Amino acid sequence: MAAKKACETFSKSLIEEVHRWGCLKQTGVSLRYMMEFGSKPTDKNLLISAQFLHKELAIRIARRAIELENLPYGLSQKPAVLKVRDWYVDSFRDLRAFPNIKNVNDEQDFTEMIKAIKVRHNNVVPTMALGVQQLKKRMDPKIVYEDLVEIHQFLDRFYMSRIGIRMLIGQHVELHNPNPPPHVVGYIHTKMSPVEVARNASEDARAICCREYGSAPDVHIYGDPDFTFPYVPAHLHLMVFELVKNSLRAVQERFMDSDKVAPPIRIIVADGIEDVTIKVSDEGGGIARSGLPKIFTYLYSTARNPLDEHSDLGIGDNVTMAGYGYGLPISRLYARYFGGDLQIISMEGYGTDAYLHLSRLGDSQEPLP
Amino acid sequence: MEVNIEKTLLMCKSFMKEVKIWGCLKQTGVSLRYMMEFGSNPTQKNLLISAQFLHKELPIRIARRAIELHSLPHGLSHMPPVLKVRHWYLDSFREIISFPEIKNMNDEKEFTELIKAIKVRHNNVVPTMALGVQQLKNVFEDPDEIDEFLDRFYMSRIGIRMLIGQHVELHNPNPPPNCVGYIHTNMSPVNVARNASEDARSMCYREYGSAAEVRIYGDPDFTFPYVPAHLHLMVFELVKNSLRAVQERFMDSDEVAPPIRIIIADGIEDVTIKVSDEGGGIPRSGLPRIFTYLYSTAKNSSSVEHEPSDIGTMENVTMAGYGYGLPICRLYARYFGGDLQVISMEGYGTDAYLHLSRLGDSQEPLP
Repeated sequence: MAAKKACETFSKSLIEEVHRWGCLKQTGVSLRYMMEFGSKPTDKNLLISAQFLHKELAIRIARRAIELENLPYGLSQKPAVLKVRDWYVDSFRDLRAFPNIKNVNDEQDFTEMIKAIKVRHNNVVPTMALGVQQLKKRMDPKIVYEDLVEIHQFLDRFYMSRIGIRMLIGQHVELHNPNPPPHVVGYIHTKMSPVEVARNASEDARAICCREYGSAPDVHIYGDPDFTFPYVPAHLHLMVFELVKNSLRAVQERFMDSDKVAPPIRIIVADGIEDVTIKVSDEGGGIARSGLPKIFTYLYSTARNPLDEHSDLGIGDNVTMAGYGYGLPISRLYARYFGGDLQIISMEGYGTDAYLHLSRLGDSQEPLP
Repeated sequence: MEVNIEKTLLMCKSFMKEVKIWGCLKQTGVSLRYMMEFGSNPTQKNLLISAQFLHKELPIRIARRAIELHSLPHGLSHMPPVLKVRHWYLDSFREIISFPEIKNMNDEKEFTELIKAIKVRHNNVVPTMALGVQQLKNVFEDPDEIDEFLDRFYMSRIGIRMLIGQHVELHNPNPPPNCVGYIHTNMSPVNVARNASEDARSMCYREYGSAAEVRIYGDPDFTFPYVPAHLHLMVFELVKNSLRAVQERFMDSDEVAPPIRIIIADGIEDVTIKVSDEGGGIPRSGLPRIFTYLYSTAKNSSSVEHEPSDIGTMENVTMAGYGYGLPICRLYARYFGGDLQVISMEGYGTDAYLHLSRLGDSQEPLP
């Protein structure tokens, strides 16, 4: 049972350290830098990387731990949130307790440690979701959840930061892979084909749709399969999967009891100079303009809540067609992480278009909220 | 002689004071639905009520604008074209408040003639202001302020002209069927889109010698109450932009230019019209600029006759000009509670979404 205040579980000096480190300046890294640095995973470079992470992760984790203690509406005291807060403080302590990294052995131990930290935090999203849900239950139902702007803003910052932390850790760990696939630098694929990723993600989404509804509409993809650019395939897969899943569900619900053949989902992949843009279009009946702001909030879902635990984002087990209502807001964070964006426009009575913009330049620094 | 100068000065001072007083009074908005219900019964009594309402409401709105024109940032207020526009507003204000109380049908008829003439006086406000802004273009550092002012200013102008035009039209002894002033109670968006597309294609032909196809998908029998002239203006602008983009992209190519596609969807809250092209798109970094009043990818013409002299009159409109089409389109969309959104896929094409509120309850925006 997690204690309400950190000072009840953790030592005073640890708490003070958390506060000190949480005020230090964060350092962002760009996709391009990660790619260039990681293309030469020499012992020396891995050492430099580990030393950088030794400091940087502590700063980012401390920052979040502090924020978790100061959430509005009593969110900080919800059992689920306390659990997450403890994970963050534990991880901070592990990092701070690790001695200076001086040689390859230290570096290997450090890598094992941050790998374990990443696993510890695997279920942060559903656990936080539970916490928010616990809050929702106790709140005055007259309060409109879309108005709880502070909570939305906090969650955006919190999850964006999490994406960054996990990217840094994952990238470093992957660089130790003795047999990396060709063209791959950690999590980054230097020649990723968006058409191919879109195909895979669509198939995964269709499989889930089939499981849940017994059938799934077609997905047609238009774009040059030979076009490639550097990006993180796991991120793109997650985003396209989410968008196609939503489109399939909308179309399915609309045409389920109809004689008409369900119209296909259409994906267009366009390559420009600044951006690669992926549009996912459906004829699932659309969303009323008044309902559109809600789709990016963390408290909204048109489906019943499954309360299943996701083992990790990007791994498809236990993913259902609809759930917490986290898919879209988190998809958008992934898009923005490397300088892109996600926009949704709908035509009520017809269908919805989702535009995923991915920055091609790779120069954008990580957002550091 | 001296007495006359003093008198003029005194009148000037007291006149400007009146402008200030009226400019601070609260504006009263009207919804599409109200205009439609009220205007469906153009009895003499109703025309009198309408005239009396306008007699008070128009000077409030006009005075408000006149005051703003006097205090624009970056010296815009001193540009000769802007001074000209300001004088139009002051003259119109004076004429309306000097008009005596409207007590009977004769008064009402004369008042209607007066506001009709006022509307004509203000026909060229947009290109004239554009000239004024252009003269300032290279000088200022804060384009946002100017954009915000022009948005308010032109939105207000749309409202004033709608109110005047609606009132004048209600005097038409032989209105077309299903029309209440400027409002068509059974407007078919598919029909309006067809007409506007054809107009845009002819213009494209004139300028380039050819024009891409426009395909329209939607139920031609679907109708709802709206102002056809507004919709025509907006669809025309969007199709014009799409045709131009496609033309420029495929002009020197062997490939057949892909058609512009228009989809018309009817929902419960909205009617949405999407205009899609494969004209190569706009980079994300360039997108915010398309709604500013200072952007145009075409060469700027110094001719003043670039904007329609009146809603629906399309002479002298060329394929591109000051860059006023999109921002003003969006104002028209927002005027009755709708919106215009433009999303682009760099390297592919652009989609423009026109949302028109079906409910008709939205009050006019009153900036």
